[in-house]
Amino acid sequence: MLTAIIGFAAVLGLVFLRMPIAIAMALVGVVGYAYETSSRAAISMAGRLIIDTSQDYGLSVVPLFILMGLFVNKGGLSQELYRASHAFLGHFRGGLAMATIVACGGFSAICGSSLATAATMSKVAMPQMRKYNYSDELSTASIAAGGTLGILIPPSVILVIYGLLTETSIGKLFIAGILPGLLGIVFYLLAVRFTVARKPEAGPAGERVEWPERLSALKDVWFVIALFVLVIGGLYGLFNFAPLNLTFSPTEAAGMGAAGAFLIALLRGSLAVRSVKEVLVETAHTTASLFAVLIGAWIFSNFINLAGLPTALLELVTQWSVAPLAVIFMILLVYVVLGCVFESLSMLLLTVPIFFPLVTSLGFDPVWFGIIVVVVTEISLITPPVGLNVFVLKGVLGDVTTATIFRGTIPFWIADILRLMILVLLPGLVLFLPKLMH
Amino acid sequence: MTDTSGETQLQRAGRWLALLPSLLAAAVLFALMVMTFFDVILRSVANDPIESATELTRLFMAIMVFSALPVISWRGEHIVVDLLDPLFTGTMARIRDAIINLASGALLLWPAWRVWALAERARSYGDVTEYLNIPQFYIAYFIALMTFITALALLARGLAFLFAPHLVQKAQNPAADAN
Repeated sequence: MLTAIIGFAAVLGLVFLRMPIAIAMALVGVVGYAYETSSRAAISMAGRLIIDTSQDYGLSVVPLFILMGLFVNKGGLSQELYRASHAFLGHFRGGLAMATIVACGGFSAICGSSLATAATMSKVAMPQMRKYNYSDELSTASIAAGGTLGILIPPSVILVIYGLLTETSIGKLFIAGILPGLLGIVFYLLAVRFTVARKPEAGPAGERVEWPERLSALKDVWFVIALFVLVIGGLYGLFNFAPLNLTFSPTEAAGMGAAGAFLIALLRGSLAVRSVKEVLVETAHTTASLFAVLIGAWIFSNFINLAGLPTALLELVTQWSVAPLAVIFMILLVYVVLGCVFESLSMLLLTVPIFFPLVTSLGFDPVWFGIIVVVVTEISLITPPVGLNVFVLKGVLGDVTTATIFRGTIPFWIADILRLMILVLLPGLVLFLPKLMH
Repeated sequence: MTDTSGETQLQRAGRWLALLPSLLAAAVLFALMVMTFFDVILRSVANDPIESATELTRLFMAIMVFSALPVISWRGEHIVVDLLDPLFTGTMARIRDAIINLASGALLLWPAWRVWALAERARSYGDVTEYLNIPQFYIAYFIALMTFITALALLARGLAFLFAPHLVQKAQNPAADAN
């Protein structure tokens, strides 16, 4: 137990010195493993992991989903999504902010990244909200918060990483993200209503859009719906009937999604050969950096398990007869605190190897815990001082201070905490849909 | 020739050197996408999946990841925690980055050598892939070679921080695409 704690502290020290997380975890993992066994065994383990990981079929899901997200971004579907949700919600007080939330949710259904969702949506939603004199606080906060849905509503790159780290079914994780994601949309809408109830001038109502125009706006989002149904429906087994007989593995779903997003972008003429190359190179680079951290995290968790940290933690919990749910709340507290200082992917990589074995041996469902971890991660994206979504918005807009955005996100942050409590106390809400899968 | 033009030539050489593996990675990724698409379509429509798809996927993944790894290492595109960046500025940051990169590169030489040994073992076994009969050790050697080059790239980046800081610009954190 002590060696594991020293190891964890060493990783923290090294990453704070800006050593790549991959190398810090691998280094400490190998040294610790060598201490527990022998240096020969340790380096063999690392060498094998390097060779095997890079040729792992299951891991091919990573680049394909990142690729899909980047093609979707190039496809410029965000404009249509915003126009459609605006047509239905724009005439309410705070309606444009509500439209932003719904459009973000829609975009999340085809893009697996929160930062990309926030960045893309800010370009279409912000000018509209400015036009109607929305306060900067409400408009930026609705984009920052709405953007966090990107990693919960499937597809989600973070859920893929969690699934790979813990060997949990990626398909089930994706399906499990749907209901909590919808709940997130509802809670964010309530947060908008709450904001305009307190300050009506923050979000004046827009003009009402008539039904024929609404329907035509809805027609334009069929690309998004088709892509979502193709990818997630395929994973769920929606097409598993004659003559199609199709159920996708995660890799196939990601491949179909990437190809679909590529074709959509191509059809809409928004894709130059040059930008195809850029998207491919960017995906390859991101994938390589993710593979590096995955290999590092695996080496590290081999050491952590060998050093007996999960068992020791479990013994501690039984010894003190802590209720399992209390353990979950302690873990959540740790996440909320870590989320204040860590960027979300780093947080996930550092903590999951330690918490996951404990949580599952207490009898919690790995899929449920994955969703909970992602919801906490979402919260960290809008928590000061390092909430990444807020900085993305600041980067895109330029003329708004981060303090303004953080102030605006307070109701959304509270909505997130409430949603987290509900999901913790009612696991059925998370596990209902995946249980229906065969 | 003045010093500055010499530097730009060096930088240009670096860019060209990085271009080839990046293009290879991009091409392989595109092939992976197209292959997965047609595999699914053929399986559904003609009940005739591409039998070698699985092993090609493995092959493509290894080529893509290990072509990109030296490039992102040289460019400093690894995922890092930049929490303490405000504390380190100017020369301090340069010395820190030099030490960290040199140490990372040196540390990677050991597993690189181990991976090479594993590749040689694979060659002595003579294993081939199931459908296409591609010798396993080809890809193992490729991984070993690229791990070495990655180590060298990190060492070069560390040295550049010490002696030619204009060559290494601050890179953005690639975690951005995953979050």
